[in-house]
Amino acid sequence: MANAGSDLAARLMGDMDPELLEFLKSKVNSFIKWDLVRFFHDNPHSTDTADNVARYVGRDVSAIEAELGELVGTGVLERHRVGELTVYSLATDAAMRKLIDQFILACDDRQFRVKAIYHIIRGMR
Amino acid sequence: MSDRIKTGIAGLDEMLGGGFLPETANLVEGAPGTGKSTLGMQFIYNGIQRFDEPGIILTFEEFPQQYYRDAQTFGWPFQELEQADKLRVIMTSPEVGQADLERVGGRVESLVREIGAKRILVDSLSHFERLTQDPIQLRGVIYSFVNALKREGLTSLLTRESPALIGEGDSVDDDVAFVMDSYLMMRYVEIDSAVRKALLVLKLRSSDHAKDIRQFEITANGFEVRSKFEGREGILSGSPHRMADSFVEAFVRR
Repeated sequence: MANAGSDLAARLMGDMDPELLEFLKSKVNSFIKWDLVRFFHDNPHSTDTADNVARYVGRDVSAIEAELGELVGTGVLERHRVGELTVYSLATDAAMRKLIDQFILACDDRQFRVKAIYHIIRGMR
Repeated sequence: MSDRIKTGIAGLDEMLGGGFLPETANLVEGAPGTGKSTLGMQFIYNGIQRFDEPGIILTFEEFPQQYYRDAQTFGWPFQELEQADKLRVIMTSPEVGQADLERVGGRVESLVREIGAKRILVDSLSHFERLTQDPIQLRGVIYSFVNALKREGLTSLLTRESPALIGEGDSVDDDVAFVMDSYLMMRYVEIDSAVRKALLVLKLRSSDHAKDIRQFEITANGFEVRSKFEGREGILSGSPHRMADSFVEAFVRR
């Protein structure tokens, strides 16, 4: 059965853009990160605290804080100190922004979304 | 008139004696749905399209997508203007916006320089009220905030929710209005069983301005100022009556 699962994964990922597949595997490997990436993509000039970002995406701060940190670690987001506040914003790196744009654009395609969802669920096991 | 920052809205600039004064903070207060954000968006859009003055929308409430959609209904292509580096729509919280403006090289400051912004819409100032319950402290926070906008060379239009749907409410001439350079009030008014909208320029520091109360409407083209309320009084109470009636009440029926 394990082999059958691996085969299905290979078939599902086989025709994916390698760059997007790597982005999915290494950076957007949870549904919360997916939500956060979409939020910052749609609001590219937003800079806010974890508490407020949690409110904007409709989740509890305890659920997103670690994920925000991981997105900072992989270069998708940036973390800054503003006065006494720790705030998060989209990466300013042009190559990263282009990759994020490509990922969000690819998500418009149902087939891509299904594959991405399958990959995330598989990674959660 | 050349030293004025025109809204580009016929009737309103006339009420303001030609427009807002440059690098001032201008409060627009009204009940939900009166058209504060529409007025603000049109101030920004006209600034870009008609006066070559790029603008920023700083929102504490709506997502940028909401502004893109709302603006598009009036034919104002905000997303295209962002792509052309004429506009930036920034969503943040009052505490971060405030702290960002206080530091050197903050995000808002960078964006102002990046696009050469001259105008800003802050929507809405009401959200600062969650920072403190103390009215004196709130006044200090807002005073500091509007001064930072002026420091950046911006002429700002700041919206504020009025708690009263119809009538005067209880926030006229309070601490926040005191730190503003101008104060525009929007009110719902009931006349002959229909609700209309009224606009008044209550204050315009260092300038003369219209003292009458005008009707206005939000049309397919945006904010349109109409004629004043002729033959009525008590407009700001929300339930005006004919002047002749009040004359009778005051003198004849006595």
